[in-house]
Amino acid sequence: MAGDWQPNFEQLVDEHQSMVFSLALRMTGDRGLAEEIAQDVFLELDRHLAKLESPLHASFWLRRVTMSRSADALRRRRVQGMHMWVELDEDHGAPAEERDSPLAARLATRIDRLLATLPEAQRAALVLRYQEDLTPEEIAATLGAPLATVKSHLQRGLKLLRAKAAIHLKEYVRGV
Amino acid sequence: MDELERELRLGVQRQPAPASLKHRVMERRRQQRARQHRRMVWFERLAASLVLAGVAGGAAFWRHEVELRRGEEAKQQVFTALRITNHALQVMNAQLEERNKDSR
Repeated sequence: MAGDWQPNFEQLVDEHQSMVFSLALRMTGDRGLAEEIAQDVFLELDRHLAKLESPLHASFWLRRVTMSRSADALRRRRVQGMHMWVELDEDHGAPAEERDSPLAARLATRIDRLLATLPEAQRAALVLRYQEDLTPEEIAATLGAPLATVKSHLQRGLKLLRAKAAIHLKEYVRGV
Repeated sequence: MDELERELRLGVQRQPAPASLKHRVMERRRQQRARQHRRMVWFERLAASLVLAGVAGGAAFWRHEVELRRGEEAKQQVFTALRITNHALQVMNAQLEERNKDSR
């Protein structure tokens, strides 16, 4: 029964830190900022712990708050006139040894770079779709956006990625 | 699912969080709780001070009211005594006048 679930803060941090950090990193492109966002999200989780009803609710809540905090951070940076993704280099991806193979690591870096060029809303939809494996309905609930808008962002994002990948990714794959 | 989507699934995976993240979260949580505790202690002290001030003020007011009431009672007793004395003097005066008439 969901009502019997007793959330354990430390356990939730252990389980979800990778998800929260990765979402924030892919949305902002800044490791330092992503870590700061992740810390803030978990501290907010601590304040809302009593309201969480189940592990699924905790995951949903963490995704929603992470995306919202990341959007806020991007907005603040825009207001301050700072350009995001300035740190988009090989360091953005996980270290190569953490990946299955150098090919996978380089592919991930390329895809992260391509994703970084997308508009924020499309990037958010694609990251939730492919990193978190969410359905469009779940993405709509997470982002608090209409389903049709999410589907449109997914389609347009993929189309834009295809166009960019046609130029960059194929060149890269041929070169490997 | 086309090639790009397969590549997206492979390439867009969760990345490990920095090793220090959990430690920093737990440390900030500890600091936040300590701050909340200090704030709560101050709030309790303030509340206790307000209660004490209220009790002391109430007691002083009550004492003042009791003294006023006692003063009023004493005043009424004096008035009653004066009325009795006045009445007794009037009676005595009437008797004296009566004797004076008789002696004439």
